[in-house]
Amino acid sequence: METPIILETCSLNKRFGGVTAAENINFKVRVGELRCMIGPNGAGKSTLFSMLCGIQGADSGQIFIAGREVTRMQAFRRVKLGVGLTFQTNRAFHELSVRENLAIPRAPVKSAGSEAGAARFAYALEVFGLDPKDETRAAELSHNQLQWLEIAMVLAAHPILVLLDEPTAGLASDETSRTAAVLKHLNSTGLTIVVVEHDMAFVKEVAQTVTVLHQGQIFAEGTVAEITSSEQVKSIYLGRA
Amino acid sequence: MKSIVHLIGGEADIGHTRWFWIGLAVAIVLLFFYPTQVSSFRASNVAFYLLNVPLGLGMALLWGYCGVLSFGHVAYFGIAGYLYGIIAGNMPGNPLGPITGMIGGLVGCGLVAAIFGYFVFYARVQKWIIPILTLVFTLLLETFLGQTAGYQWRVGSVLLGGYNGMTGIPWFQLGGLVFEGYAFYYFCLVIVIACYFGLRMLMNSRFGQVTIAIREDELRAELLGYDIRARQAAIFVLSAMLAGLSGLLYVQWGNYITPSQVGLLQAALPVVWTAVGGRTSLLAVVISTLVLNWLTYTLSSQGNQYAMVIIGALLVVTMMFFPRGIVVMLAETIGRRMPRRTRAET
Repeated sequence: METPIILETCSLNKRFGGVTAAENINFKVRVGELRCMIGPNGAGKSTLFSMLCGIQGADSGQIFIAGREVTRMQAFRRVKLGVGLTFQTNRAFHELSVRENLAIPRAPVKSAGSEAGAARFAYALEVFGLDPKDETRAAELSHNQLQWLEIAMVLAAHPILVLLDEPTAGLASDETSRTAAVLKHLNSTGLTIVVVEHDMAFVKEVAQTVTVLHQGQIFAEGTVAEITSSEQVKSIYLGRA
Repeated sequence: MKSIVHLIGGEADIGHTRWFWIGLAVAIVLLFFYPTQVSSFRASNVAFYLLNVPLGLGMALLWGYCGVLSFGHVAYFGIAGYLYGIIAGNMPGNPLGPITGMIGGLVGCGLVAAIFGYFVFYARVQKWIIPILTLVFTLLLETFLGQTAGYQWRVGSVLLGGYNGMTGIPWFQLGGLVFEGYAFYYFCLVIVIACYFGLRMLMNSRFGQVTIAIREDELRAELLGYDIRARQAAIFVLSAMLAGLSGLLYVQWGNYITPSQVGLLQAALPVVWTAVGGRTSLLAVVISTLVLNWLTYTLSSQGNQYAMVIIGALLVVTMMFFPRGIVVMLAETIGRRMPRRTRAET
């Protein structure tokens, strides 16, 4: 039996004035997948993420999460459906303590998957070295601790689909490796993860499938080996396409 | 019991050491004994300072803790005051009149705030526009009330009175006990203490933490599953009802209200109290509201025509040299100089 689809977009379009940020985006992510999205700067990756989680509305097209159309749904309602997102720039609440940051995410509704969600959250706290009783202000944390804190905050709501926008930005190589190991483990427990990333070493390490965006369109999609060996993909990164 | 102690003593407001709590307890005791040492005229003056505290606290809640500045919260002060006058004034001799007026005033201003808040927050109006909208609302209300002179502008037997205002508003009473003179002072004091501790507990609760999170980053909070529009609207209504509470006490204190109470000058005052004390602390706003009201009264009563200029200058000085508020920055300085062990007592 085919694995069910957890995230699907149909002919998604978005323009900012004369600039096309997303054009006829059709893509599917299946339950339990770890998908990476890559593409040059301005390819439309973050815009696509912002449409998926409801920060920005699409001009046309449809978005489905776990089979339910969410195209016009408010962002907080999508979170209740099980979507979690981290931003390109860290947005933990700097004025609040680590404890408060971890306590803020909305308590998840009891469901069949809530035990798995609690286990994932506990695992992330342990591996990232975060103490849910820590009264240290988030503003006093280092960059990597803030990045990990935000991932843990998303996991605190027991999501079924996690969207991470450049989770390794600014991290040292050992910190990137630790992040990769955590994401792989979380994915192995059945959590669906979609990651926007520029670090190709990280992508090769974690991705099962890679989607390449270019000029607001899906340029290529395939396994890591297929994508990294594609001359066309190499050419857009070098600015020849 | 432990959770109540945690809610009162949490990090959402300044003051956590044993010495702070001792000092606060002494201050409250002194305030209770104050009327026994002074004339009813002086007690009445201090009651006036006290009755403005809920308005200041509402502003701290909305602006300091939720990050939304209203420049027209006195509109709710006025709505509650006028409603009390209308309801209680139409029930003369009825001991239930004042309590009905209190409830009606609070519910009325809460309803108006809910309607206003719904349109502002559910339309996701940008934050910098909200002070303008709220100011326009209160100025419109002032203009409307100003043209209500004449007998055609009466509700039941109560005249709205135009710019002359509504007069003869009854004192609050419970059964046979009329809250005037010293009793009114204690009535205000108990309300102020209840508002302060109630809000301190609210801001230390999960609701308060989420409110602060919304102030810090609305989008992040929404993407953690919170309907920030509903939260902001709820805080707006609560802060408006606190302003309304001040309005109710004001009309009982002076037995009158005029449209100037919802005018530009009055609209600016709670913003000044909150900014000067420090908008992120409830206690700081309590202190600054009391001190600045005392200062305004003292300057005005000594014939100083420039009382408001001095208050305005104080705001400018605060913004330039004490951006987080004078009381808050003073408390931070004291906290830094305290021995480490005392600081850790939370």
